[in-house]
Amino acid sequence: METLRDAFDFSDFSKGERIGLVLFTLFLFIFPWLGAGSFVKAVMIQFLLFSLFGMGWNTIGGYGGQVELGKAQYVGIGAYTVALMMVWWKIPFWVSMPIGVLIALGYSFMIGYPLFRLKGHYFAIATICTSLVLQDIFINWKLVGAAKGIELPIHEHPDFLYMQFKSDTYYFYFIFALFYVGLFYMNWFRKSKLGYQLRMIKDDEDAAESLGIDARWCKIKAYSIASAFVAVGGGFLAVYNLYIDPYSVMDLDLSIKIALMSMLGGAGSMWGPIIGSAFLVPLDRFLGSWLGAQKGLIGVDFMIYAALIMIVSAYQPRGIWGIIEQFRRRGA
Amino acid sequence: MAILEVVDLVKDFGGVVANNHISFDIHRGEIIGLIGPNGAGKTTLFNCIVGYHKPDAGKVIFKGNEITGFKPFMTNREGIGRTFQLMKVTAGMTVLENVMVGSFCRTENRNFAKVEASAILGFLGLDEVKEYHLNELPIASQKKVGLARALATQPELLMLDEVASGLNPKETEEMVNLLKRIHQEKKITLFLIEHVMEVVMPISQRVIVLDGGEKIAEGLPKEIVKNQRVIKAYLGERYAKDL
Repeated sequence: METLRDAFDFSDFSKGERIGLVLFTLFLFIFPWLGAGSFVKAVMIQFLLFSLFGMGWNTIGGYGGQVELGKAQYVGIGAYTVALMMVWWKIPFWVSMPIGVLIALGYSFMIGYPLFRLKGHYFAIATICTSLVLQDIFINWKLVGAAKGIELPIHEHPDFLYMQFKSDTYYFYFIFALFYVGLFYMNWFRKSKLGYQLRMIKDDEDAAESLGIDARWCKIKAYSIASAFVAVGGGFLAVYNLYIDPYSVMDLDLSIKIALMSMLGGAGSMWGPIIGSAFLVPLDRFLGSWLGAQKGLIGVDFMIYAALIMIVSAYQPRGIWGIIEQFRRRGA
Repeated sequence: MAILEVVDLVKDFGGVVANNHISFDIHRGEIIGLIGPNGAGKTTLFNCIVGYHKPDAGKVIFKGNEITGFKPFMTNREGIGRTFQLMKVTAGMTVLENVMVGSFCRTENRNFAKVEASAILGFLGLDEVKEYHLNELPIASQKKVGLARALATQPELLMLDEVASGLNPKETEEMVNLLKRIHQEKKITLFLIEHVMEVVMPISQRVIVLDGGEKIAEGLPKEIVKNQRVIKAYLGERYAKDL
């Protein structure tokens, strides 16, 4: 009961934030009816998906302060579980997705247990490595389609059991719902015992240990929560793209993007991952399609992208949300 | 009954023996001071007891159970609280949240933790700075937050590492009174490392002196100040001869 109340209670946020959240929700509700083209809709779906990834990353990377750069392996686990179970045994999404989450949880405990002996940069490097190893295994593993990947059998529209639709509007509302489940979870998480303990570990790990906190165990728990979140997103990706291969769902690029968006938006804050992805996903897409199409300008979008990240991190390490809070404090 | 027994403890940092066969007992309800010049091995001894270092030999016994080699979070759960000489001053959490983390050690319930933490902040006179971050506070208040955090874990033995360092005489006096109150009202055994004699001497019931990793003296404060070896360690050989 208390858990539920915490999840839906936004009263400790400022008035501005609450109004912002309501307006944002309303906007999302009516968005598909605003007459946006399919490209804009696709960008919007990407935005919500990356917000979900980011919220997951934020538990361990933001609140826990552990720079984690291997989330793509869990996107892969979620996506492959959904895809393979459907291809092999025709298992519906609503069964295979939770199984994917469970596999991701188990796998993250296995990885997290040895990995959290490491700290700081060494931990970050190790997470990259485990993700790359898993990607390599999948690239060479014939049974799961190897480098060619797997295509999902197409079902008739609309299929709510296998979650396959012709129209992006359905997918939009689907990820919209997942996004809000994530948001409410995070609202509970930041007020939970684990949330407090993680923030203490981030601030001062030695002091945290002296306060009866088993730092390593807390980190493993947060890492698993993050992995479960990301695996849900991976499952969505499988039914949304209807085709997955190790390059699209397990790439290092994806891991970095997930971490980067949250850091740019403001790691360790409720809105950071959402802001970061609202900023970077459209930028990535629009710049890519606009500049990438012009002769001689290929790669310029990446330069702009990189420059923005450098500017924000030099100016305020706590990201865009950190800048906003800075101004708010000055105003108050 | 001894609440803490340290038996023949050795910590060797590969060449430098920081703690050389140190033994002593602390009884429930006592206030014990640990003094010694810089590099005497005081903080190392603390770290060996609490679990930041693993002793190379010897035993640490708390309330009759051996806790040698326990991790810091485990010794805390057994009932040992500690504060640090240097607190990391961060902007991540408010004072109240800091103390709540301590309370969470004994409860799952956030509202309960908040009530607990607020009570402790009230006890230490930190009510007004509840919503501030650590980096916005003067050093005396930071030290008190460290104390509050440790108290929130409901320790039976509280180990304080130079709780008065960096404080002015008035703040030091306030701190001494606070320690007395913690001892009397909360019935907590205190074990403190201290450089400031104005803190150790008036409140300690017994004083342990370390020098160069060895225990060179133990006894009542008034005996310790007259002890030749202690004077030598603190003031240097030449001064000791002149005495």
